Amino acid sequence: MSDEFDLDVLAESFSEFLEGEWPKEKAIAYERSDQSYDADLWSAMAGLGWTALTAPEAEGGLGLGTAAAAHLHAALGAAVTPTPMLGTLLATTLLGATGAEGARGLLAGIIDGSLRVAVAEPNAVPVQTDGKTISGTARDLLDAPGANLLLVRIALAGQPGWVAIDADAPGVSIHRYTLADTTRSLGDVTLDNVQIGEGRLIRPTAGAALDDLLTRQACVAIAADSLGGGEAVLKITIEYMKVREQFGRLIGSFQALKHRVADHHAALVGARELVLNAATIPDDDDGALLAALSTKAHVAAVTADIARDCIQLHGGVGFTSEFSPHLYLKRAKLNEALYGTRTAILDRVADMLEAA
Amino acid sequence: MMTQTSEALAPAIDRTAARTFDPLSKVGDEQAFRQEIRDWLAAVLPADWRKQWQQTRESDLRGVMTWWLEERRKVGLATPHWPKAWGGPGISFAYQIMVYEELSRADAPELDIFTISLFHTPATLFEHGTQDQIDRYLGGITQGTDIWCQGFSEPGAGSDLASLRTAAIRDGDDYIVNGQKIWSSSSMHADYCLLLARTDPNGKRKHDGISYFIMDMKSPGITVRPIRQITGESEFAEVFMDDVRIPAKNLIGAEGNGWNIAQSTLSTERGLLIFGSTERLARSFALDRVDAKDSWMRDVGLRREYAGFYAELQAIRLMVRRLLAELEANPEKASPTLPTFIKLNWGPFLQSYSEFLVRAEGLEAQKWQPSIPGTGHSSRLRFNDFLKSYGWTVAGGSNEIMRNIISERILAMPRG
Ligand SMILES: Cc1cc2nc3c(=O)[nH]c(=O)nc-3n(C[C@H](O)[C@H](O)[C@H](O)COP(=O)(O)OP(=O)(O)OC[C@H]3O[C@@H](n4cnc5c(N)ncnc54)[C@H](O)[C@@H]3O)c2cc1C
Repeated sequence: MSDEFDLDVLAESFSEFLEGEWPKEKAIAYERSDQSYDADLWSAMAGLGWTALTAPEAEGGLGLGTAAAAHLHAALGAAVTPTPMLGTLLATTLLGATGAEGARGLLAGIIDGSLRVAVAEPNAVPVQTDGKTISGTARDLLDAPGANLLLVRIALAGQPGWVAIDADAPGVSIHRYTLADTTRSLGDVTLDNVQIGEGRLIRPTAGAALDDLLTRQACVAIAADSLGGGEAVLKITIEYMKVREQFGRLIGSFQALKHRVADHHAALVGARELVLNAATIPDDDDGALLAALSTKAHVAAVTADIARDCIQLHGGVGFTSEFSPHLYLKRAKLNEALYGTRTAILDRVADMLEAA
Repeated sequence: MMTQTSEALAPAIDRTAARTFDPLSKVGDEQAFRQEIRDWLAAVLPADWRKQWQQTRESDLRGVMTWWLEERRKVGLATPHWPKAWGGPGISFAYQIMVYEELSRADAPELDIFTISLFHTPATLFEHGTQDQIDRYLGGITQGTDIWCQGFSEPGAGSDLASLRTAAIRDGDDYIVNGQKIWSSSSMHADYCLLLARTDPNGKRKHDGISYFIMDMKSPGITVRPIRQITGESEFAEVFMDDVRIPAKNLIGAEGNGWNIAQSTLSTERGLLIFGSTERLARSFALDRVDAKDSWMRDVGLRREYAGFYAELQAIRLMVRRLLAELEANPEKASPTLPTFIKLNWGPFLQSYSEFLVRAEGLEAQKWQPSIPGTGHSSRLRFNDFLKSYGWTVAGGSNEIMRNIISERILAMPRG
């Protein structure tokens, strides 16, 4: 397989499908729907094999890597889809890395999309467990309200790990937080003496390396999501500026506005390079994590500010929920806060740069 | 006027023990004046009003706001900035400022839906209205029975307001109005509208031929369609006018002079109206660092970023105070440019500070809550405040239009 060729074609097929299946009108309407994900869109994606993208071929997946995932997430960000694909990516990595049979067996459901997974961030406060039952609360778990499988961060005898819990298992309750970005949600997952199923405990041998891999993939996916969002909202805004007239002129002809658009475009060209680079570094390369973290912090901030300005460039219509720029702003702001705020990530980047 | 809702919202205080308050009788003694307002606020304002108002649905909004206006009216502070001639208390600027300072200090609600009624309408009528119009309409405002909206912007005429197309054609004692307005804040609650319409389509410049009307929102032919905002609320609406009859006596000023009158309506947005908002923000700015003392105030980068906002906010407060002092000394000689500078500082400041708070508070700030009416730009719901900041960067002349005014009209740079 020629990876280069495949990826471009793949990226195009992602966007093409979403343009038809999830046009702006749907994204705008979804914002008021108060759902945790869009079931029809999700099964359509699963039908196309998107949920199988990075799963090992031996398990029935497509066996593609982080670069393919980045293209997918850029397309999802551009279309502002309410689909828990980040959980799919991370769960695939996490379950694929374990020898625990019960957990590995869940891969089939992830590949065919029947499982929607909420995966705790590696730096989440762990829930203590003795390995047989588990009680406690996992806070702010992304996409938990719409998930049917939860991968909760645990500590067992002082060692970090994960446990796979069915969302409908006895003793599990989820408090849902609606977010400004309604394409995603957070849940506080309370576990009250929940039985841990056979082989559902994931105790990585190389714990920190797995954490780094998950962080890296999450950061690349989020950066890609932001990149796609930034490019899309800027495109929409440029189109608007080419049709909206005030003072007898297209507003796109005002230098004060078009220079800002030019800045945004230039920033996104750089952002795209960063994302492509971060996504194609081999998993075991020392620079992979640094590239992912620094890219995520930068691209998330760039897009958040572009989306903010795109509302301003639209004027009054930008302030209505009937236009789409606000969807991008809200998603961009959440992307900034996920997997460590800018502050936390940059501290880590600084440490890594010093250590290098 | 007490609605059921407002009845329920009245604080559970022992009415027999309650005394009456009369801050206006203390004018002349600053300390006593402030103390009387503080005592009054402590007695009438429920400590949890924010929580109660947050649960108020859009339909009850009028009820709670009217209740609060009524409480203010009882102590003579419904319209503290109005002169005696308007039926206001006629207190000096120094005392008006004290009122707003004390209201902000106590976190008393803002009267959002009465903004046009309390500021724009009187400013317009007193400068340009007939005695009949003043007599007829101001009472309804002080009594809290009437809500006004502003019908200036149109789909095709936003920044370029002078290109508006809503037509008013004289027909006997009436004008017949056809057209569409948009972004009209509180128009779904409104009883009257300050309307700009074109009476002469053949004017030499597009600013000519615009006239200024009082439109009764209950007139046949008016349809109001609320528009949902990015905040989730609908605070503004589209107003469609289909053969709406406006009596000619509702014309404000001379026919064709609407553009000039509109300028005085808009200029009021930048005086006391901004003062209330900046003082309120100064209060929440101080609370923000206290609330964050164990979180982001411990982070050196965020701490410095926060500290940087301090001087920005002070600069705005000082500019507003200077403007108020100038207005007090002699309204004719007050700086005509300062309001523009204030607005261009205030909007972007509000947006960047509220954005900072969203970023500093991380995931917590992403959690959605219904907005709290009456809290203006200081609801302290981070995402809501951030989104609402566009109210100052887009509405009433966008940042870009302020920059054009400053560069071309004030600094006399060549036109682009
Ligand atoms: C919260 C809110 C409340 C409002 N309340 C009211 C109300 O009560 N009554 C009312 O009548 N209106 C109201 N408005 C409308 C407001 O005044 C207009 O939105 C504003 O004037 C901008 O017009 P527009 O929306 O048509 O944007 P446009 O004029 O189309 O502007 C689009 C973009 O182009 C820029 N632009 C336009 N012209 C130029 C130029 N010459 N040079 C550089 N850039 C330019 C603008 O700054 C903006 O970024 C409200 C708006 C908001 C957001």
